Amino acid sequence: MQLLIQQLVLGLLIGGIYVAVAIGFSLVWGILNIVNLAHGGLVVIGAYLTWILFSRWRIDPFLSLPLVAVALFGLGYALQRVLINRVIRAPLFFTLLLTFGVNLVVINVLLVLFKSDFRSVTPGYSGSGLSLAGVQVPYIRLAGLAVAMALAGGVALLLNRTRTGAAIQAVGADRDAAQLVGIDLRHIYALTFAVGAACAGVAGGLISTAQAITPTAGEPYTLQAFVVVILGGLGRVSATIVGGILFGVVETLAQTMVPGLGAGWANAIAFAILVVVLAVRPQGLMGRVA
Amino acid sequence: MPLLSLAGVGKRFGGVDALSEVTFDIASGEILGIIGPNGAGKTTLLNCISGVHPLDRGSISLEGTRISGLPPHRVARLGIGRTFQVVKPFASMTVRENAAVGALFGSSNLGPRQAFQAADEVLEVVGMTAKAGLPVASLTIPDRKRLEVARALATRPRLLLLDEVMAGLNAVETDEALEMVRAVHARGVTIVLIEHVMKVVVGLCQRVVVLNFGQSLAEGTPQEVLNDPRVIEAYLGEKYARRMRGGADA
Amino acid sequence: MSDIQPGAAFSTRPDAGGRRLRRVLLIVFAIAAAAVLVAPLSTSDQADSLGLPVLVDRSQIRILTTIGMFVVMASAWNLVGGLTGYGAFGNVAFFGLGAYTCAVLVDPHKFHLPMLLAIALAPAVPVLFAVLVGLPLLRLRGHYFAIATLGTAVAVGEVVKNIEYLGGATGLFPPIVRHGDLLFLYLMVAAALLAIATGYLVLRSRFGYGLIAIRENEEAAAVLGVNTTAYKVAAFALAAALTGLAGGVYAVWNSFINQEIGFSLDFNIQIILMAVIGGAGTLFGPVIGAIALELLIQGLAGQGTIAVYAQIGLGLLLAITVVFVPRGVVDFFGGSSRLSLSHLRRSLRETSV
Repeated sequence: MQLLIQQLVLGLLIGGIYVAVAIGFSLVWGILNIVNLAHGGLVVIGAYLTWILFSRWRIDPFLSLPLVAVALFGLGYALQRVLINRVIRAPLFFTLLLTFGVNLVVINVLLVLFKSDFRSVTPGYSGSGLSLAGVQVPYIRLAGLAVAMALAGGVALLLNRTRTGAAIQAVGADRDAAQLVGIDLRHIYALTFAVGAACAGVAGGLISTAQAITPTAGEPYTLQAFVVVILGGLGRVSATIVGGILFGVVETLAQTMVPGLGAGWANAIAFAILVVVLAVRPQGLMGRVA
Repeated sequence: MPLLSLAGVGKRFGGVDALSEVTFDIASGEILGIIGPNGAGKTTLLNCISGVHPLDRGSISLEGTRISGLPPHRVARLGIGRTFQVVKPFASMTVRENAAVGALFGSSNLGPRQAFQAADEVLEVVGMTAKAGLPVASLTIPDRKRLEVARALATRPRLLLLDEVMAGLNAVETDEALEMVRAVHARGVTIVLIEHVMKVVVGLCQRVVVLNFGQSLAEGTPQEVLNDPRVIEAYLGEKYARRMRGGADA
Repeated sequence: MSDIQPGAAFSTRPDAGGRRLRRVLLIVFAIAAAAVLVAPLSTSDQADSLGLPVLVDRSQIRILTTIGMFVVMASAWNLVGGLTGYGAFGNVAFFGLGAYTCAVLVDPHKFHLPMLLAIALAPAVPVLFAVLVGLPLLRLRGHYFAIATLGTAVAVGEVVKNIEYLGGATGLFPPIVRHGDLLFLYLMVAAALLAIATGYLVLRSRFGYGLIAIRENEEAAAVLGVNTTAYKVAAFALAAALTGLAGGVYAVWNSFINQEIGFSLDFNIQIILMAVIGGAGTLFGPVIGAIALELLIQGLAGQGTIAVYAQIGLGLLLAITVVFVPRGVVDFFGGSSRLSLSHLRRSLRETSV
């Protein structure tokens, strides 16, 4: 029982990271109809920025999150404005290929810059945590969950309480109609992608505190974001939260509680969930029926 | 025995009855019109007949054999062809290839060589022989509607369901389309058409079924139906129905 | 909604590129095929003893064999992604399953079948898999289908990696075939010819028209009498068979297969890239794409460039191709479009916001 509760708590905390990873991915997919295969690459850039700030200037990883977010926002804006905007009206598949190409460039530039060594961000409080009735709760993971929730809340506020958010939602609903009412499509597209990239950066910062990073580590994050979005459903922040937490818990429980499965099965479990949900309920658990 | 009979057909979409208790027969060789206000369930009815939507209640049979529950391609093979209100051409193909796809499948089920011959035949019936080699993208709206008919006709249907093939056409184009439907009918094809243009309904149909809120409201010859106060009311509202009673042509 | 229609995905017609282009291509292919078939003979020991000039060395034979392998896989992908308009993103699963099937069949401690028989049987498992997975997944459209197929490929790879019988993470080692270079080259070229012939026959058949009709408008295809489910699954299974065949040949050629190679995401994306760059939906587009891209990859690797720069180059090439030549080179050079600035500008305007 103790073990089960411990694993549930761990799953919940890991789920928080998944929420952070998926929130930007879901936004870009839902609004721009782009499945951004470079999302994992952006997450890794965020992680490396955090690492640089920490190792060069000893800036606390949680304090550097806003800086990382701003940097990724700028990168995302440029990427969408210069490159991805050019294929928005091309068939879906081309945005997949384009973002895959961008990801390839990102990973390999990072490899040139940082080599393939493992890096980690280890502030003084790294190892410590709470102990509640025998259940261990690491501070870093707890803070990660809190930041993820704040991030999700921020995106929800942006979308639902601001003029820009209204414009973003209008573009997502019908881009041509949005253009007719005077919305600058290129800007809103770039802005949405930029917000998505900023979220990816924050997620990267959180990840750098919890595990070692390497330039090629990005792929699993894109895959995790897929699973979360498919699980929860597309188009709502609340769905991403539910999907992320659920995924974290299910994955952790499956790995530790089911005999015969272990860490080596992480991807297989993720994709088994993905494929089953897609086949049975393509709109996700909280998605609306098309 | 009727060619097609619908018995108590019902279809729900998320708690709304799109169709309920729709019952009527279609005789072999007739041209039957289906009219009704927007949202009355006309296109849903065609979707149910052609197998695009499964029924929730009732049954549809073709010459006594139940066809409701069959997937669309089986219904097509049994000889029911249809067009779409919003045309759905195969955009990358030429006009001739579009028609040939109909002949390759459907109840004609020809091999590629004969299919192209059959395509040429139906293009002549709808008057598009001169445009056979053109890509679909270059066609005007009336031509796209013709192509839609040609493609359905190429499947060699016994029953052809036409969903608003005249909508959006001008007077001259409408007359040409009327000729086209008559030419198709002359080949022995039974026709069901959904139409808003009353001139077409009066000019073509021997019998009309009126749908309103998913139910059949009236049935009869075009004149009988159009003079039926319930029909006028459904189209124009009660106030106008009273004012126009006597000789209205909606 | 028009951008969500898979129909718009690859609007090149099967014969896009025009008759003249096709004739030129056929001649080029005939010459190339003859050269590929004859030249390697000059490296054989017999030719050597007769003092004939060596036209290609063994490393070039290896490159040619690899090209043949990708011609098979890109052409196979084209049946689903190009003709049917379903953007499959996990075809490497068929390659891996074919390779593992063949490796298990030739293994002296397992089935110990003769090599050629094992290769011939290699497609069986991928086909079975394609049918089982295709039935639920081919109901999905667009991104959902792409992601589901990618997910399936990764998941299968992980499962394979965890099965002891299949060598676990280490993989399997089919017996080395001595002096097999020429044999495997011809096997791979034969598989490539089979793939091209399959594409040719499909394009001219009722089946091919049905697939294109599904791509252009699935609902219209269905009411015309196309059994869309059966057709889609059949196309998927056919692609699986060809890709699995390439995997089978690869396993014995390489005499080593593990999860990383068999389910390589690099291979996965290269297959798609080749077909798309060459021209999805056309017969020879994937062939040209496979040759061009593989030569480029080999060229970048052969120049002594560090692999990362080659990868950066590949990524940039991908981005440039997608942005500027979205319909692939076959359409680009052969169709109505021309290699001109005004065409580039027009194509950019059509696809951008």
